[in-house]
Amino acid sequence: MTEAIIAEGLSKVFNGSVKAVDGISFSVKEGEVYGFLGPNGAGKTTTLSMLTAVLGPTAGRATVDGLDVVQHPHELKQRIGLVFQESTADQDLTGRENLELAAALFGVPLRDTPERVQELLGRLALADSAERLVKTYSGGMRRRLELAVGIIHSPRVLFLDEPTLGLDPQGRAGFWKIIGELRKETGMTVFLTTHYLEEADGMCDRIAIIDHGKIVATGTPTELKDRVGGDVVTVRPLGNATALEPALRALPGVTAVAFQDGTFRVKCPSGDALIPKAVGAATNLGIALAGVSLRRPSLDEVFLEFTGREFREDEGPTATDRAVFLSRFQDGRRGRR
Amino acid sequence: MNVRRWSALTKRELLKIGRNPAAIGTSLLLPILYLLLFGQGFNFTKLLNVPGLTAQQQALFLATYLLGAPDYFSYFAAGMVGFVSVTATLFVGANVIFDKLFGTLKRTAASPATATDIFGARLVAGSIQPVALAFLVLGLAVLLGYVGLAGLHITAAVSVVGAVEIVVAILLLSLMFASLFLALGFTIEQPQTYFAVVNAINLPVLLTSAALYPWGAMPSWLQGIASYNPITLAVEVLRINLFGGNFYPQAAWVYLLGLIGWAVAMFAIATLLTQRALAPKV
Repeated sequence: MTEAIIAEGLSKVFNGSVKAVDGISFSVKEGEVYGFLGPNGAGKTTTLSMLTAVLGPTAGRATVDGLDVVQHPHELKQRIGLVFQESTADQDLTGRENLELAAALFGVPLRDTPERVQELLGRLALADSAERLVKTYSGGMRRRLELAVGIIHSPRVLFLDEPTLGLDPQGRAGFWKIIGELRKETGMTVFLTTHYLEEADGMCDRIAIIDHGKIVATGTPTELKDRVGGDVVTVRPLGNATALEPALRALPGVTAVAFQDGTFRVKCPSGDALIPKAVGAATNLGIALAGVSLRRPSLDEVFLEFTGREFREDEGPTATDRAVFLSRFQDGRRGRR
Repeated sequence: MNVRRWSALTKRELLKIGRNPAAIGTSLLLPILYLLLFGQGFNFTKLLNVPGLTAQQQALFLATYLLGAPDYFSYFAAGMVGFVSVTATLFVGANVIFDKLFGTLKRTAASPATATDIFGARLVAGSIQPVALAFLVLGLAVLLGYVGLAGLHITAAVSVVGAVEIVVAILLLSLMFASLFLALGFTIEQPQTYFAVVNAINLPVLLTSAALYPWGAMPSWLQGIASYNPITLAVEVLRINLFGGNFYPQAAWVYLLGLIGWAVAMFAIATLLTQRALAPKV
């Protein structure tokens, strides 16, 4: 398997002092769904912007689909799809017109364009509103149109920047279902940023947790959760069962056992394998059980573990946000971007 | 430049213009008001109907002040063409800023479209309206003469070459200002800043040109500045061809050359600035 994305020591410094991205290195395999997870201002969008040749890196290098992002920005833009956080469709054009424009910009052959546009409109449930101006679209419709624009040219690598921001749970589920289908059909690589933990957990083959411009942990969702200490199996005996504690502790893989409120909390790497063993141990001792349950650690705990902070979705503007805002403002005043 | 990308982007601009009839209406309002009110009210050539003034003295007056135009309104109507190419092109730059704010430009910039495609499409689409408006102004000014108002009286025999010169002058002036305003649109981020800068450019450019003033009434220092003003250059091409070139120091093609210089320079600067604005930010 070859690498679809390689980043080596990628850095972005705004205004000569604020390090938005601080020397990150990672690689994404072809066909993989790779998630950048982190709070606002962690450097997710800045990284994605550098990988898509929207921003130039201050230091380091990156290749996407074998193309250097600095040396071949135009070829790169042809091969990748990009779905922005915000809606970028033209509000004064219809959904169909927006897609036709995108088809022309991304070089979909003229003769294939009507068919491709129609196919995407149908697939993204926009066929009925294809002739309506985008300004009349709902948030969910705009997101789907945005995705259609991003994949109009069947890109090899699809970049999604917080693609479901502001969508209701139903809309989010629908969005990810489409991504899943597309991926299965085309085998395209997906790089996404999100601060929805459950999305990263459900969608990504691998995750990088990014905080203050640095990658603090990478791995599959399961690996990351395992590193936090694995699953917790709760065993609730009927009546007094002090004899059960040493028996649970002796089971293979158990790292800790705590007794609280009449319930044993057993930590282990793989909870579902432990449950039959724990039940067996209780049966051997003649102890009746009221209930057994399994709790898997969520990425919330993972985030807390690696960054030392609670994951909060609505953090205020960070130093990076402010620096980016200021740099735009000052550049604007100097008359250049 | 990629023809397919460029034409798709041009189509988009034209669709947007066509879907905004209010903007088309207001762009018509300004020149119509100027022709119906300002031009009528300022048509001071009536003052020449003084008893005792000989035809020779009247002709001398017109030659000195209006460089051979038959009356102020006719002189002014040609000037209005220069006026509308400024006022109708400034929106092309504003649209760039709004596209930045709405994220549309971000999408285009992230596509394989080059700065030349993006700039070229807006330049062409943005010049159609002012050029159309300029000819509308000329037509309307002529018509007014037939409904009992002061109108544009063409007193020279307009040759084919002259007509071509007029069209080229209008085209060049619109392209030049569209380039200027596009350059501003691509480099400025905030609409407030843009309109402040545009206002700071518009009035000085208009008021240092010979679009509205009777040439002979301008102090010589202002004539000196106005001689190099692109609006003056375009307007003079029109006036020479419509009223005769006897009182102009140069032939129309000389003014056209100056205008080409302005247009090429502005186009070059604007392309460069657009390229810089759309390049990955380092």
